[in-house]
Amino acid sequence: MRLFVDFVPVLVWAILAIVLVVVMLLASWVLRPHVLQNSEKTSSYECGEEPIGPARISYPYNYFIYTVLFVVVDVMGAFLWLLASSTLLWPTGPNPQELVWQVILFILIVMGGIGFVMKKLPEAALDGKETLEQYRKAKAEREKHTIAGGH
Amino acid sequence: MQADPVFQLFEQVEFILIAGIVIVLAYLALEHKEIVYAAFFFGFMASIVAGFFLLLEAPFIAGMQIAVYTGGISALIIFGVLLLPRAQDSSLETFPSGRKRKIGLLLSGFVAAISATLALLFPWAESFDEIVVDMSQDLGALAEWLWVENSIYVQMIAIIMITSLIGAVALLKMDKAEQMGSIQGEFGIEAEVEIEDEPEPEPESVDEEPEPEATEEEDA
Amino acid sequence: MVPLSWYLVVAFILIGLGAYGMMVKRNLIRILIGAEIMGNGVNIALVAFALYSPTFNLTAQGLIILVISVAAAHTALALVLMLMYNRRYDTVDLGRPVDREVA
Repeated sequence: MRLFVDFVPVLVWAILAIVLVVVMLLASWVLRPHVLQNSEKTSSYECGEEPIGPARISYPYNYFIYTVLFVVVDVMGAFLWLLASSTLLWPTGPNPQELVWQVILFILIVMGGIGFVMKKLPEAALDGKETLEQYRKAKAEREKHTIAGGH
Repeated sequence: MQADPVFQLFEQVEFILIAGIVIVLAYLALEHKEIVYAAFFFGFMASIVAGFFLLLEAPFIAGMQIAVYTGGISALIIFGVLLLPRAQDSSLETFPSGRKRKIGLLLSGFVAAISATLALLFPWAESFDEIVVDMSQDLGALAEWLWVENSIYVQMIAIIMITSLIGAVALLKMDKAEQMGSIQGEFGIEAEVEIEDEPEPEPESVDEEPEPEATEEEDA
Repeated sequence: MVPLSWYLVVAFILIGLGAYGMMVKRNLIRILIGAEIMGNGVNIALVAFALYSPTFNLTAQGLIILVISVAAAHTALALVLMLMYNRRYDTVDLGRPVDREVA
């Protein structure tokens, strides 16, 4: 109960943050000109041509892998935070000998996984540079084909 | 502190407030038509459950709940919604056959009944020794429990983490032909209309079906 | 203090909602959200036991830490499986018409 009372300033701050965002959105909604939207106005813009097909980009699986990486590092951080906020590793506190080895092993295991992912990631999913290279190569091939065929 | 009636009333009011918000948010997270709103409600609910943990005198667990659930799992679900555009179709909510719906409701009612029995009818209060709890706030005892006595579980958690990481990379691997198919999309690299007498559009599109090329030539 | 059974009632309601979300819904993402809600309910029950029983105080809190991290790992893998499902069938629907392969 005491703990909850200690954390009430955090709650007040969170409520203030939400109120701020809502007030900003409401203010912009009030000050906006309200014009009727029809389907031609809200369709996607393609430099004046008719849009063909859905406007979907290629699947960015890279971002997903980075999010999983973030979760792994987050959990590791939570475990190390617990260790750091206690007196177990202080030179004056109770310092059991095998605790340091456990921490080193834990960090090594997680770092090993992250290192493996960093090495294998360029082979597994497409990079931005690679996509651009392939695109340029395909375009050059096609132009060579049309130039050769046009003669 | 425990015998103070004002504090007791205050605590009960807080408990009912937080519990009400959590249950409403959980229901909204499951029932709202749009997936993005549902994922956001889930993230919000995870933060309010952290408030529950604070009421239960567990500050470290509240912090870990916000860091991992709201910051990690909620972001993962929103990324999943981003990468799966078909999930934003709001017509996939109920099974079309009534039998499947009834079976689903029966099974979930069964699970809820078991957990209600465990929660309400099991004599939890009598099987614990005493009701006096110590309000120590330092994390030293918890750190010692986790890292000194049961550190084997911490190493197992590390292995589980890298399993999920390596699994994510290994399962999402695409070979080159499939990658080119995913860049080019359904209509080829450029759905241009000026290249009419092209016998074969791109040299890499060997894995693509002939049907989009027919559509491309039809468009020309 | 708030009696223990109140916390268990909240935990049971969340577990029931999570089970309902996992078994009745058709969209894969909602099933995942239902699983996470169930996990949250279980965590609330565990923390309530940590408070009300001095012998299991540290054990329950340590167990919750382990359970939360395992839940994070398995949510990531569940999403990867959903991405593979989407890549194969191009839908996120559990009730899709099953393509029967001619033997």
